[in-house]
Amino acid sequence: MDVEKLKEDWVGLEFDVVEFEMSGEEMVAWAETCGETAPRFTDPGDPDFQAPATFTAKFLGRRAFPKGFPQIGRGPGFDAGKSVEIHAPVRPGDVLTARSHIADIYPKTGRSGPMLFIVHRMIFENQNGDRVSVVDWRRVLQPEEKLS
Amino acid sequence: MSDGKRRLFSQVELGDELPDLHPDVSMPVVYRFAHDAAYMPAARFIDHEGARKEGLPAAIVPGIMSQGLLASLVHRWCPEANILRIDTIFRAPVLVDSDPVCRGVVTATDDESRTVEIDLTIVNESNETRVVGTAHVALPVD
Amino acid sequence: MILDLHTHSIKSDDAKARVENYCQWIRKREIPLDGFVLTEHRQFDGESDYRAIEDEFGMVILKASEVETDYGHVLVFGVTPDLLHAFDFARIDLPLADVLEESQRCGAVAVPCHPGRPRVGLCAHIEARGDVEGVQWIEVFNGGSRSGEDEASLELARKRGYGGIGGSDSHIVSHIGRCVTRFEDSVHSIEQLVSALRSGRFEAESWMSKN
Repeated sequence: MDVEKLKEDWVGLEFDVVEFEMSGEEMVAWAETCGETAPRFTDPGDPDFQAPATFTAKFLGRRAFPKGFPQIGRGPGFDAGKSVEIHAPVRPGDVLTARSHIADIYPKTGRSGPMLFIVHRMIFENQNGDRVSVVDWRRVLQPEEKLS
Repeated sequence: MSDGKRRLFSQVELGDELPDLHPDVSMPVVYRFAHDAAYMPAARFIDHEGARKEGLPAAIVPGIMSQGLLASLVHRWCPEANILRIDTIFRAPVLVDSDPVCRGVVTATDDESRTVEIDLTIVNESNETRVVGTAHVALPVD
Repeated sequence: MILDLHTHSIKSDDAKARVENYCQWIRKREIPLDGFVLTEHRQFDGESDYRAIEDEFGMVILKASEVETDYGHVLVFGVTPDLLHAFDFARIDLPLADVLEESQRCGAVAVPCHPGRPRVGLCAHIEARGDVEGVQWIEVFNGGSRSGEDEASLELARKRGYGGIGGSDSHIVSHIGRCVTRFEDSVHSIEQLVSALRSGRFEAESWMSKN
C-alpha cells in the first residue's frame, strides 16, 4: 500500500457535514461520570452551565472515512488518542455543525505491530457560526498488506 | 475534590503537582458514561465477558472517558481553569473495575498568556502508563 | 557525564514536549542530567538549532533518530547526509542488516532500542526469525518499559556481550531522565557521543523511582 499516494488522494478533503444538538442531560452524565465537581459542569441551574471540556470528542459523523476510501485491515480499527481544542463554551440546546476531513495519514510500528494512523479532524461550529472546538481523532488501522 | 481555594496563575510554578485523582471506573459508572453520556454502549466497554470475546482482558474504559477524567483532574485542582487544548494518547487500556490513578504536573508557565502546560498520565496498579497527554490551560489572574 | 540518550520532542508525531521545556524541567527538578539526545521518530531533524537553548541552560542537546526496521526500532547516533541517502528514514520496514551496515559505513552507531518490547523489540524478532549480525549495543533501560521488558534486554546484552545504554523514551516533559547513560568521557558533540559509545566506557542506569 502506497502511503504517500493515500495521503495525496485523501488528506484535506472534506467528506462529511453533520449537525448535533447539545443535550444538558448528556453533559451532566458526562461530567458526573468523569469526576467533575465544578457546578458549571454538573449543575444545569448554574449561570455558566456548559459542556465539559472534552465533550465534543464523543461525536461521530455519518462516515468514519470518505466515500471510496480503501478498506484497510479488518474492522474499523481502534482509537489511539484524541486531541480537543476548546474555543468557546458549548451550552445545552446549541446546535453544532461538524465538518470532517482527514488531516494526516502515516505509518508506524508499535506493540500492536505495523499500523496505519489516520487523523480524522472534526471542526465544530455553533448556530452563530462561532468555532467551538476542533477534535482530532487518531484512528489506527492494522493493514494486512505491506506499507510502502 | 478541590480544596475550595482559588488558584491563581501567580500562585502556580513549574513543577507543581496536581493532587492525584483516584477515579471511579467501576462498571456502573462506566456503564452510565457509555450509555447516557456518550452513547457508545459497545460490549467492550460495558461487559467483561463481551470484552474478553474481543480479545481484551476485561471491559475497558472508553478512551474519551479517560480523557474526560484527566480534564476533571485539572478542574479539581483549579475549578476556574479553562482548558484550551488537551491531547491524550491511549497507550494501553484502562480496565473497568480497576484502580487507576490520574496524575498531573505543571511543566511550563507563560506569563504573557497566563497559561500553563500540564503533563497528564493515567497509570494502573502496577504504575504502568496507560494514557499519557498534555493540557494547555488558562488560569484565572484575579 | 550523564545523558538521556532517547527522547522525543514535538517533531515526533506522538510527542508533546518542547526542547526548552525539557531544559526548564531538568533545572527546576534538579535532575542531575548533563544533557539529552533527541531521537525523533522516522526522521532526522536537520533544521532545528538548539545551540541557544544549550547555552541558556548549560546543557548538551544532540540530535539523532529512531528508525523502524524488520527487527524492531533502532536509535541511530551520528546521522550524516551520506546516511540520509543510504536509506529512507521514513519507512517502517527497513532491513536491520542494512541499517547496521550503512551506519557502520557512514561512521554512525545503530542501537536497537527497547529490545524487550513485544513486536517492536529485537528479542521477539530474534526468537521468531533468528539472529542478525552486526549488533554491538542495545538499549537495556527504557523509560517506557513494562514489567519484564528491561530484564529481557539485560539478559540479551549479557548473553551476546552487547554494550547497554539507557534512555527515557520520553514523549512528555516530565518523563525525561527516567533512564540514562553515564559516560566516563566528556560528550559535547554527536561525534564525541559516537566515539564514547564505541569506546565502551559507559553504563546504563534506571532512575525510574527518582523521577
